Amino acid sequence: MESVLRPSRLEYVDRPEGPFCHLPDLTLRDFELLKTPVLYRRGTCLFREGQPAHDIFVLDEGRVRISVSSESGKRLTLRIAGPGEILGLSAALAGSPHEMTAELLEDAQVATIKRKDLLRFLREHREACLQVVNLLSQDLHVAYDRVRSLGLARSRRSRASRVQ
Amino acid sequence: MLSPYGLDIIESCLTCKTRTERLFCDLPASALQSFESIKYATAYPKGAVLFVEGQAPRGIFVLCKGRVKMSICATDGKTLIVKIAEPGEVLGLSATVSGKPYELTAETIDPCQVNFVKREDFLRFLKEHSDACFKVAEQLSEKYNTACHEVRSLGLSHSAGEKLAKLLLEWSSKNGEGAKQEPRLKLALTHEEIAQMIGTSRETVTRLFADLKKRQIVQSKGSTLVIRNKSALRLIASNN
Repeated sequence: MESVLRPSRLEYVDRPEGPFCHLPDLTLRDFELLKTPVLYRRGTCLFREGQPAHDIFVLDEGRVRISVSSESGKRLTLRIAGPGEILGLSAALAGSPHEMTAELLEDAQVATIKRKDLLRFLREHREACLQVVNLLSQDLHVAYDRVRSLGLARSRRSRASRVQ
Repeated sequence: MLSPYGLDIIESCLTCKTRTERLFCDLPASALQSFESIKYATAYPKGAVLFVEGQAPRGIFVLCKGRVKMSICATDGKTLIVKIAEPGEVLGLSATVSGKPYELTAETIDPCQVNFVKREDFLRFLKEHSDACFKVAEQLSEKYNTACHEVRSLGLSHSAGEKLAKLLLEWSSKNGEGAKQEPRLKLALTHEEIAQMIGTSRETVTRLFADLKKRQIVQSKGSTLVIRNKSALRLIASNN
């Protein structure tokens, strides 16, 4: 972790395109108040699979590799997340450990939000909760596509070609 | 009401005794009343298909009783079981929310009671009831975590033996059996269905079980499987 930056509480007017962009301004302002922006170095793991989910991460810039690993250290990249994405949402909502690892591919500013603050915010703001439901539905479609391509590949070689 | 499939149908969610134990169903009174007015209680025999992968989403199916096989299928007919849904789960949720086609096929493996809610009614219900919306987010999160678990197992396991060992350890950790020296589990699926869960053939599963029994790692007693040597099974699961 490099340094904690000044919270951009009123910068939501010039916000980058993200999942909450189209929420009412008052809701968005409440969301911005929860964020603590931090500058991270390339290679930093925001979270690792198996760790408890204490925070979620809003990626303001940069790219993050989302992957799962075997006990022997073999790694499978699920996808590359980009600016505006919210990471660690499913573990935070389910109250379970992270199912994947998120590693920064470049130096980037990432805003962290405490899990308990997020849960309270979603209970208080129905539009945001609906947006989270939409996001999780999209993520689930992507995950099932991945299950399909890995599970129904015709041969071991074909499966291996899908593992990075 | 007693249905033709031997199910004691729960007609009203308001009087359901198991409601409080289930993640989605434990709603506040006003949301529950609203849900009651938009759901259709239906009963299905074993082997009924609730929806098929690729179909436009009609709505959600809340599983009240019985179990449902959730699978995906290749064009050559090869099937992969993603999970066995248990009572309390909401099926067809992500497709209904996103409007994209159902990504899985849902087929009952027991006689089932299912509460169906039409897509437009469900979306309106979510907009009006934030508690329900929050519960849906929780359910989707769990489903996403399960899908990631499946990706890990399919993408990073080396052999069918490793995947079978992991599956048996996972099943044996339920119902308070996990801490026991020799946990027991009820094998409710056929070898064919287990094969579809780990992406292999029925013949391979039968051969693997025979091998595990021969090495006295597991023992069969009717439909109950006893894990006699948990550490040996763990060793297989960790690919050592």
